[in-house]
Amino acid sequence: MDTTTLEPLAVSERTPPKRGLPPRRWVKENLFSTWFNGILTVLLAAILGWALYKVARFVFVDARWEIIEVNVTNLLVFRFPREEFWRLWVALYVLAAAVGLGTGVAARLRGEEEREGRARSSAALTTLRRAAPLLAVVGVFLWFAKSPEGTVLVAGAAATWMAARAGGRYVPPRHARRAGAVVLLGVAASYLVVSAFGGVGWERWGGLLLTVFLAVGGIVISFPLGVLLALGRRSSLRAVRLVCVGYIELVRGVPLITILFLGAFMLGFFLPPGSDTPSLESRALVGLVLFTAAYVAEIVRGGLQSVPREQTEAAQALGLSPLKTTRLIVLPQALRAVIPALVGQFISLFKDTSLVFIIGLTELLAVSELITKQPEFLAQGLIIETLVFAGFVYWAGSYWMSRESQRLERRLGVGER
Amino acid sequence: MTDSALGSGTVPGGTGEPMIVVEGVEKWFDHFQALAGVDLVVGRQEVVVVSGPSGSGKSTLIRCINRLEKHDRGRIVVDGIELSDDIRHIQEIRREVGMVFQQFNLFPHLSVLENITLAPRQVRRWPKQQALEKAYELLLRVHIPEQAHKYPGQLSGGQQQRAAIARALAMEPKIMLFDEPTSALDPEMIKEVLDVMEELAGSGMTMIVVTHEMGFARAVADRMVLMADGEIVEVGTPEHFFVNPREERTKQFLSQIL
Repeated sequence: MDTTTLEPLAVSERTPPKRGLPPRRWVKENLFSTWFNGILTVLLAAILGWALYKVARFVFVDARWEIIEVNVTNLLVFRFPREEFWRLWVALYVLAAAVGLGTGVAARLRGEEEREGRARSSAALTTLRRAAPLLAVVGVFLWFAKSPEGTVLVAGAAATWMAARAGGRYVPPRHARRAGAVVLLGVAASYLVVSAFGGVGWERWGGLLLTVFLAVGGIVISFPLGVLLALGRRSSLRAVRLVCVGYIELVRGVPLITILFLGAFMLGFFLPPGSDTPSLESRALVGLVLFTAAYVAEIVRGGLQSVPREQTEAAQALGLSPLKTTRLIVLPQALRAVIPALVGQFISLFKDTSLVFIIGLTELLAVSELITKQPEFLAQGLIIETLVFAGFVYWAGSYWMSRESQRLERRLGVGER
Repeated sequence: MTDSALGSGTVPGGTGEPMIVVEGVEKWFDHFQALAGVDLVVGRQEVVVVSGPSGSGKSTLIRCINRLEKHDRGRIVVDGIELSDDIRHIQEIRREVGMVFQQFNLFPHLSVLENITLAPRQVRRWPKQQALEKAYELLLRVHIPEQAHKYPGQLSGGQQQRAAIARALAMEPKIMLFDEPTSALDPEMIKEVLDVMEELAGSGMTMIVVTHEMGFARAVADRMVLMADGEIVEVGTPEHFFVNPREERTKQFLSQIL
């Protein structure tokens, strides 16, 4: 043990130490502190630079992007009848208006809760930053499409979204519920515009449209189903518990591909003879939902276990019913705890939609593969271009979800203990 | 009322009208008997302080009164309603009985104001405005009006416990149960919570307080109860308790904590 007494610090020393370094010293201390580190720095910089050069050269010089240019429409919707495209545009505008309204109302609700919101001018910038990955995808598609009408129409949809969002900010919070209903109606209407009234049902959808539809539909349906399964697994009723555990363990023990195959090729055997078999698309969606719900259930169960029993007791002691205790006290805390895992599962689902190609559906990845077999592109090794393109779209979507989830975590983390 | 009457567990104090009747209550956790036949009657506006060594069944007793634990034998009647498996009776009793916990148990995802207004709005179905007015009034009463919009995690222990008291009072209960409300607090925060409880007792609230704060007991309690091994060892006024305890266990316990 050291027995020397420490001198008390001089008063001038009691300011927090400065941590930043001027750039020159930072480089010296972090990258070239020893000769060995210096060599490592140079070597890694060379490898990184070479890789960047190769990628950039491929993307901007070598790649033959004309296969994408020619097939923009195929990648977006594939077999969707061209004479019915107006329906998609109308749906896009209705959707933009509905979702814009929803985000506007939500933004105002949050603003009233937080009170200490930032200045309005930076809000537009934040929105732009948040949507950047999606805007990049739209931008790339428009670039390849080289269609002035398309660009104008997309810009119009974006303007509609912004106008609706601005309008949503004027909705007083007491009408928030009604606004929510309007948003739902808008979403339903956009679907009906496409598929009803002599329109195009999902069985003729393809490309990115089908990918997004399967992903969004899968997430929206599997999430509540998974929450119910998780609650059921903790139910005090033995029968409910058994059914939920059985379902979860069964589905988790089977590969997704197996479930998709079962739905595609064996469902017919189980249906009563003479009844219509549902379309391949709906069977694929059901398969994705059933599969994801089991995983969501286990994630949510983990969250439920992280909420201390005392929270339930406090709610019960106040006279809250079991249902309200779950809905208002336990679930919000449980879900907040598992946002990262949940979003991870949804990102998986988004990419797993590409597996439906094995039962013969033509979503984005399948189209990317199919178009290389067109006579003018056959056997020219263009699969690299199309895969890079599809990969970029999947990456942008996943990255967007990941960033949104981090945002959500930060926002809900206000009262973290 | 004579000292001997107050020395009995089954004659209510306060106004003399029984609010809580506990008769021969037993509670088992597997093979451990937490309550071994407890009899206690608490009168309207009476303040009863329950003490005793840890594991003596104090917390279990008050947790049985609002059915956070289910008693195995005996009878519990709260404000004329008997606790049974009937969920409606349980809910009815829980509406009238407020509880304050050792660990506060505020809802961390809700602001202090939302913590307080939640139950009146959801259970009593009060309109928002009425619930808010009540909440501000209570926050004034527990001396933390400036904390209304903060979250529990941003408050000190003493402030959290006072917010928890306000949350329980928002339901306008007839009875308040306190389960070691100051045991998890830093010493300098104990007084601010005890002050609030003392004011509450002064306003005529029926209270059962599990605590080892003997200063509080001496100042506020109408009767004191000493428990050990799931049984009531001795009941009496604070004077009786501190000056002239009858039982050996009581003397031993008091000598350990005083």
